[in-house]
Amino acid sequence: MTLYHFLGLGLLLFAIGAAGFVIRNNAVVLLLCIEIMLNAVNLILASFARYLYGAEGQIFIFIIMTVAAAEAAVGLGIVIALHRGHGTLAMNRIKDLKG
Amino acid sequence: METAIFWGLSFCAVAAALAVVFLRQAVNGVMSLLALMLVMAGLYLLLGAQLVALFQLIVYAGAVLVLFVLVVMLLNLERKPARPLLYPGKPAVASLLALCGAGFAAILRWAPPPGGGPMGGAVKPAPPIEQLAIDLFTERLLIFELTSVLLLAAAVGAIVMSRKAGDLS
Repeated sequence: MTLYHFLGLGLLLFAIGAAGFVIRNNAVVLLLCIEIMLNAVNLILASFARYLYGAEGQIFIFIIMTVAAAEAAVGLGIVIALHRGHGTLAMNRIKDLKG
Repeated sequence: METAIFWGLSFCAVAAALAVVFLRQAVNGVMSLLALMLVMAGLYLLLGAQLVALFQLIVYAGAVLVLFVLVVMLLNLERKPARPLLYPGKPAVASLLALCGAGFAAILRWAPPPGGGPMGGAVKPAPPIEQLAIDLFTERLLIFELTSVLLLAAAVGAIVMSRKAGDLS
């Protein structure tokens, strides 16, 4: 169990999240895929903090978690507004930004 | 022992992430993401970052996912699909599964021998929590305060965006 293993796992999780963002059609699931990608980045920062640098990486993780919480709140607000304006969450049927 | 825990947790993490992508109903995806968050907290514990694991449970599992569940419930978007999973014949799905298999195979194939250089795993001692607090509240104080402004802006923005147009309540 080395830094290499954690980096590989983080890379794999990020790839799954990015691929899911492209594959899926539901707006809520797209937000879930963004959360997967943020968690993969957090894992990579934590492993660098453990194996190379010390405390700095963990502070980065706290900031990223705050940004993720803010992003989830705003994103879900957008999802509610989209659902109200278009009556659907399927991304291929939402063509205009103005509801 | 730690290696066995790492492999168990990493398989669970990849399985949960794949479940988020492949389960059609949004609420099933949210529950899979909850499983992923718990597994990630275990990985942080394995990395000696206890405070991060705690915040992972409180912030993600406690706050963000509750928000997701609330929105899924509020929008009531579950018409039960014919199949619970995405159709596995799609080329994108097949290539994603192949990518996961290739990723694990690559991790196993090119793993460095233990004990040589930083990639070989010379573990630094985990920083004590006091050190984190000192760093966060002295050197990084400006960033810390800016995140509070960000959270305030996000809360106001979420309320403004999700209310009906013209409704001031």
